[in-house]
Amino acid sequence: MKLTIKLIVILLIIFGVNLSAQDNAQLVAQCAANAGNVTYLKDFVVKLDAGTPGGKAPTAKFSMVLSKSTVYRFSICTSPSSEGEGVLQLWEMNNMLGSSFMTATGKDYPFFDFKCQKTGVYHVFISFKDGKPGDCVGILSFVKKL
Amino acid sequence: MIKRIFYILIGITVLYSCRSGGEKPQDSLLEIPDSVLNEGVLEISEEVMQDIVQNISSPVEMAYLVKELGVPFSNKYLSPTDNLEDMNNSFKQAFNLGIYGADLGYLNMYNKTSIVIDYISSIKVLSDALKVGQFFDFTTLKRLAQNNQNLDSLMYISVHSFNQMDKYLRTNNRSNLSALIVAGVWMEGLYLATQVAKEAPHPQLAERIGDQKILLNDLILILENYKSDKQFKALIDDLKVIKDEFKDVTITIEKGEPEAIEEDGMLVIVQNDVSIVHITDERLKSIINKTEEIRNRLINL
Repeated sequence: MKLTIKLIVILLIIFGVNLSAQDNAQLVAQCAANAGNVTYLKDFVVKLDAGTPGGKAPTAKFSMVLSKSTVYRFSICTSPSSEGEGVLQLWEMNNMLGSSFMTATGKDYPFFDFKCQKTGVYHVFISFKDGKPGDCVGILSFVKKL
Repeated sequence: MIKRIFYILIGITVLYSCRSGGEKPQDSLLEIPDSVLNEGVLEISEEVMQDIVQNISSPVEMAYLVKELGVPFSNKYLSPTDNLEDMNNSFKQAFNLGIYGADLGYLNMYNKTSIVIDYISSIKVLSDALKVGQFFDFTTLKRLAQNNQNLDSLMYISVHSFNQMDKYLRTNNRSNLSALIVAGVWMEGLYLATQVAKEAPHPQLAERIGDQKILLNDLILILENYKSDKQFKALIDDLKVIKDEFKDVTITIEKGEPEAIEEDGMLVIVQNDVSIVHITDERLKSIINKTEEIRNRLINL
């Protein structure tokens, strides 16, 4: 009987993992389509656990090279089953350039455009509001040359 | 009891075989030959490499710039696909996969769907040889190209397939092949830009070529992890020759504060730091010549 239960658990794990991968692929495709009339370049699939009380919210980091005289679009789509709401921030070195959530106004943006004027390495940080656990997808798209 | 276990195993087999056949599961990969696995200790950590490698070279952006400048399509900028049988080891396969990836971006940008099929077929052959063919949705791409329909999807699936291959290689101890694909994409992008610059000079193109100085440094840094392999060493030496050509290309920065503005309800971040590339005509000419020489030799190794 123990062996039977073990086999069922293995089966559930296998199917659970595959369903999750499929959900991610769908969310990436949907998020890329929602970004508008732009060209998809990269995706950042993020799954984070809850942060510890009073601690910093867990964050995923991605780095990329962006080119001068180019408009890029950064989009974020939180999975419908996610507890937390994803926030995407764009940084260069120690300077935050933009965020999908404006703390000052409390306004969320599903995407924002970045008019890049300097070729170099930039960083995307993705976290969830209030350090909640969650799943989301960030998309980097090419909009146009300036 | 044995009967019950037997039924469960049958159930697993049936359920697995009933899954949608479009994308093969990662678990179904065949055994990877030792020759395509990383060996030894990396000089820079995987984490640092991940920091550098994302989007180091996009096949889309250079092609877009060329098209925006009004340069007509020419298949002379493409790498030929008639020497696939010579790509008989994982080094050549991965590097040329990157080369064809860049060419595919160029073809998609100009909607050259008739030629695209030839390139996606070649990419399929090389990706299968590297055991990453399961991430390249050949059937859908071929159908879209043949029907000359949904060109946005063609572009999305092409780029997404390459991203999936790259992610898989990097997370499965095969970053060496990922680095080679990136190097191939970069090389072909530079070749396209320099060939166009030779025939139709434009300041924007010259600046974009000069910008490659920054990317080339990162690319060499990644490849140097694998310099113990003589093929990698030879590639690094070639890239260093190109790097030497960039020596007196200078990039200055004018500082400024970023601005966040709302345009039609949409958030736009304007960067006011501006990089300026200084490159002379003579220097550009020598970069064009050296790139042509090295790229043509590398694709015919």
